[in-house]
Amino acid sequence: MRRFISSLHQALKAVRAFKLRAVFCIASVALGISAITVIVAATEGAYRRAYEMVDRFGPDAMLVLGGSAEARAIGRRDKTITVQDVEALRQAFPTAYLLVPMSSVREVNISYGNRRHQTRVTGTTEGYSRSWSWPVVDGRDLSEADVKGMRNVALIGAQVARELFANTDPIGKFFFVRNVAVRVVGVLEERGTTGAGHNLDDRIVMPITTAMKKLMNEKTYVNAVRIRFLDARNMGRYRQEVRAFLRQRHGLKPGQPDDFRLLSSEEIIRFLVALTGSLVIFIGITGVMALVVAGFVLANLFLLSVSERSGEIGIRRAVGARRRDILFQFLLEAIALTLVGGLLGFVLGVAAGPLLKLAADFPIYFSWKAFAAGLILSMLVGLIFGLQPARRAAAVHPIQAIRSG
Amino acid sequence: MSLCVLEKVSKTYTTGDLVVYALRQVDLTIDPGEFVAVMGPSGSGKTTLMNILGCLDVPSSGRYALAGKDVTAMDDDELSRMRSEHIGFIFQSFHLLPYATALENVLLPTLYLERPVDGGKSRALELLSLVGLEDRAHFRPNQLSGGQQQRVAIARALMNDPELVLADEPTGALDTTTAAGIMRLLSSLNERGKTIVVVTHDPEVAAYARRVIRMRDGVPTEQPSGRTPRPLTAHPPVTP
Repeated sequence: MRRFISSLHQALKAVRAFKLRAVFCIASVALGISAITVIVAATEGAYRRAYEMVDRFGPDAMLVLGGSAEARAIGRRDKTITVQDVEALRQAFPTAYLLVPMSSVREVNISYGNRRHQTRVTGTTEGYSRSWSWPVVDGRDLSEADVKGMRNVALIGAQVARELFANTDPIGKFFFVRNVAVRVVGVLEERGTTGAGHNLDDRIVMPITTAMKKLMNEKTYVNAVRIRFLDARNMGRYRQEVRAFLRQRHGLKPGQPDDFRLLSSEEIIRFLVALTGSLVIFIGITGVMALVVAGFVLANLFLLSVSERSGEIGIRRAVGARRRDILFQFLLEAIALTLVGGLLGFVLGVAAGPLLKLAADFPIYFSWKAFAAGLILSMLVGLIFGLQPARRAAAVHPIQAIRSG
Repeated sequence: MSLCVLEKVSKTYTTGDLVVYALRQVDLTIDPGEFVAVMGPSGSGKTTLMNILGCLDVPSSGRYALAGKDVTAMDDDELSRMRSEHIGFIFQSFHLLPYATALENVLLPTLYLERPVDGGKSRALELLSLVGLEDRAHFRPNQLSGGQQQRVAIARALMNDPELVLADEPTGALDTTTAAGIMRLLSSLNERGKTIVVVTHDPEVAAYARRVIRMRDGVPTEQPSGRTPRPLTAHPPVTP
């Protein structure tokens, strides 16, 4: 142990002594490690965001959207889910404890007194706030009677409450949605913005019956259905069943594409991981290549160093150093350099992270994992690429080394 | 008890089918307190003899015992330990670590000791003052003259208090005046009881020794030193 510590001490001394070698080794390792650090941080960031979104979306939830993926792409009408479909689904899936149809219109003019605002109107049923786990913090929720009676009532988002009612209590007040007078019955909890930049609090929620008839002039179709199932573990099976059920109802033949889309937490994760994956692969290949190059730079500089310092090795051996003392010294020199490179790389990565976030709005999260990955990888580079030169140093024959020096 | 005992030591090198004898059946004894010069033209085997005496190499046949320990069958680690504990080396080109100070260079042999010793630093400083460099302890080799560097190397050779000091052409890289200084220093060490073996081709250097061994074709022949006519009574005659 004592000899190991003195080898370490000697190694650190040599590291400081051969500055040019140190600079090249550290710089090349730092570049690779910074890329790796960013990858780990990006992956972690993406997973965190994915789980955040899944958490908000609900792991037991599924969203059925009208219109096929293809139809949406070419801008065709995306209304294929009917009110009857919703009722049929409700009958067919008793495990769906919440089944909420939704229809939205954007940029609807609303006003209260002389205050005006444009917002999104979502028509839905009484289960809405429960289905999104989005509590009403003030007033009451929509009721079945509101929906059945096609009442002119609304829940408003926190943003709308601020825009229209400022500091006054909005509950019970009437305001205009287009030219329809609507009474505020509740205020939804503040939710903030989504990852994509939508302000969730800028909306009003009304009975779907009222919204379809008085705002959308629509009798048959809804935009989407949100379903929550009792058992989150069987989401894969539910997904297949809902798909088969809707295909049959819509009379789709085998081979024809779906005229609806199903979205569950699985898709969200898959989408985000795919998004992250391409970046991770790109930076990953770059990072690994940079590390391999760094390793070769290190190995070459060290081989050069070994022949340059054969006199030093010779004298150390002559005064009693064993082969493994020499091996350890050179290996420790390599690892010390790559560790410093790794630390520097982590700092570079942390500095570069926000730039990436700025450029691509990419979720990046630095944690001990990125730090540990950087350090471990840099140590490995030192160990792997330092081994061969260190072995060569240990094999230097003291007689020849002393003679040649 | 003799310090170094060589019995029928041979060293051969094989190149292809050709076997070259660097040492042939050498019998040699060196006692504590001797100052021996090994002379001979290049290829005579004097360096091979020194490598074997210094445990840098092992005989091909025969037996070598240093300080009562049979070195012949030792492995590399054991040889390292023998060097560490019993031998101090001085080389023609000094071999100081360029990035370490004089003091750190003198301390180098203590790093590889099996058992750590206390007071290494104060001993190193004492040795530096013994070789006249007490005010150069924190200088690096490139700030020292050749003679001063060799003095640091001598202090380093003495650091672990070895029984045997081996000097390979210690003045080969120095001018005559400086060389004489180094040899006087080695002589004074010998007068204090250190056993010293100098390998050289320079008769001036050999003249400081009390016993001269001439190597020719791997065989040593003994003759008394020319300039220092000290009687060899203390030493038994050695037959080649």
